Amino acid sequence: MARAGTSRTVFPVIRFEKVTKRYPGPGTPALDQVTLDIDKGEFVYLVGTSGSGKSTALRLVLRELRPTTGRVYVAGKEINRMAGWKVPRLRRQIGTVFQDFRLLPNKSVAENVAFALQVIGRSRRDINKVVPDTLELVGLKDKGDRMPDELSGGEQQRVAIARAFVNRPMILIADEPTGNLDPSTSVGIMNLLGDINQTGTTVVMATHDHGIVDQFRKRVIELEHGKVIRDEAAGSYGFRH
Amino acid sequence: MQLRYVFSELRTGLRRNLSMHLSVILTLFVSLTLAGCGALVQREANLTAEYLGTQLQIRVNLCTDNDPSNSPNCAGGEVTEEQRARIEQEIAGNDEVRSFDYQTKEEGFEKAKKTLPDVVFEGENPVVTVENWPGAYWVTLKDPNRADGIISAVQGLDGVSGIIDERAALSQIFGIMKVLKFGSWIASGALLLAALLQVANTIRLAALARRREIGIMRLVGASTLYISVPFLLEAIVTAVVGVALAAGALAAFQFWGVQRGLAENVSFLPWIEWTDYQHAIVGLQPPGIAYVGLALTLVPTLLLTRKYIKV
Repeated sequence: MARAGTSRTVFPVIRFEKVTKRYPGPGTPALDQVTLDIDKGEFVYLVGTSGSGKSTALRLVLRELRPTTGRVYVAGKEINRMAGWKVPRLRRQIGTVFQDFRLLPNKSVAENVAFALQVIGRSRRDINKVVPDTLELVGLKDKGDRMPDELSGGEQQRVAIARAFVNRPMILIADEPTGNLDPSTSVGIMNLLGDINQTGTTVVMATHDHGIVDQFRKRVIELEHGKVIRDEAAGSYGFRH
Repeated sequence: MQLRYVFSELRTGLRRNLSMHLSVILTLFVSLTLAGCGALVQREANLTAEYLGTQLQIRVNLCTDNDPSNSPNCAGGEVTEEQRARIEQEIAGNDEVRSFDYQTKEEGFEKAKKTLPDVVFEGENPVVTVENWPGAYWVTLKDPNRADGIISAVQGLDGVSGIIDERAALSQIFGIMKVLKFGSWIASGALLLAALLQVANTIRLAALARRREIGIMRLVGASTLYISVPFLLEAIVTAVVGVALAAGALAAFQFWGVQRGLAENVSFLPWIEWTDYQHAIVGLQPPGIAYVGLALTLVPTLLLTRKYIKV
């Protein structure tokens, strides 16, 4: 499966080498001999129907799962062989955003963002400096004291993105980030993810959102039954859907 | 690691699961108190056995100068080496005897000083001195019901002042102690198991209540230790309170039950002291209730947090 228009001189920040992931029980593997490279600073859509293997691929990058066979590299390190105690350090280089935001309801916007730094042991001084900057970046400068239930869906997703980005990760993984949002709000979120990508952060976004993929043309990797069936630079969602 | 964050999580955790923590504390308190009682009864049994012998033992007292028994065996005064050799030969050759130990006058006197009140040995006219304390053979029988042969074999020998045979009385005392000891151990065992299960449930509920936070912590790269610390601290607080309550109850038992009660009313037996109490709380062998309480809460917490919050 050839990939058009990208240079191979850049160091791949994510590499799958013949990765197969088989869950217990009968049936086809969730991922089947998948090989792909994602370079630093790329913006990649991962598309495909439910059960095509998108979430499995993301969970392999996070080392929530290990491949049955094959190798997964993140930032040049083979993570399926990584010792358990090193996994938290790996995850500090990866920000994650979900469709359902996953904010802590009993903490304010600023506290939600600060939480990601507190639990990795960053100093209060650092936190007090970085959190307002990040809230400004996501357009919530004046809403740090609000509680999550006082915000719209789009604003809550911005908080989630701020939390994922506050530690300036190398990779941002977004699993259906616009899945719960209306089209105009989704555009705002995509612009924000685009801004983050411009800072050099690699963005990998699993999505079903045709409109977004077609409007914001980026590299598209399409999965079907655990195999990569399309890998296009500046691709569309695809006519088959 | 930010201590402020850890302690705020600890406060929240204790408040959120207050009823569960209270039930664990109460179960720990009762079970550790019973376990401590078992340990104290065991110490008391050892002390009694050391002083009076076990129900398997008889004691062959040897003659002293001016022996108070007025036995014809002591007509020659203090037992001689030849007499002692003859007695020892008789004991060693008897098939009712499993083993025996010779206790010198000095050893017997020192042992008595440890177990009897000081007043017996002090003052201008002490009740006993080392000179009139008898040397003795402590004879352990094969069968507690069979001692007639050894008694008849040695009681008429020169140099034997008398035979102390308190098997019947001791059997009753040790019987009561055995019931108390095993009763408290069985009850405390069942309650300790209940405490263990309650701790496991508490961790499960706490992990469930915090699953969203834990999920986020894992994703943003918090270490397993960092995620576990609030759970471990909750377990330590629970254990410390449970142990403190049990230690308090046992101290009250030691003070009012033993020292102000039994020791004053049953003076023919040596009674456990504060050092024995200390041993029951923080002794190493068998482990004191402080260690049992901590192990009971920390071990399941460590195991279950690994399971529920695996990174």
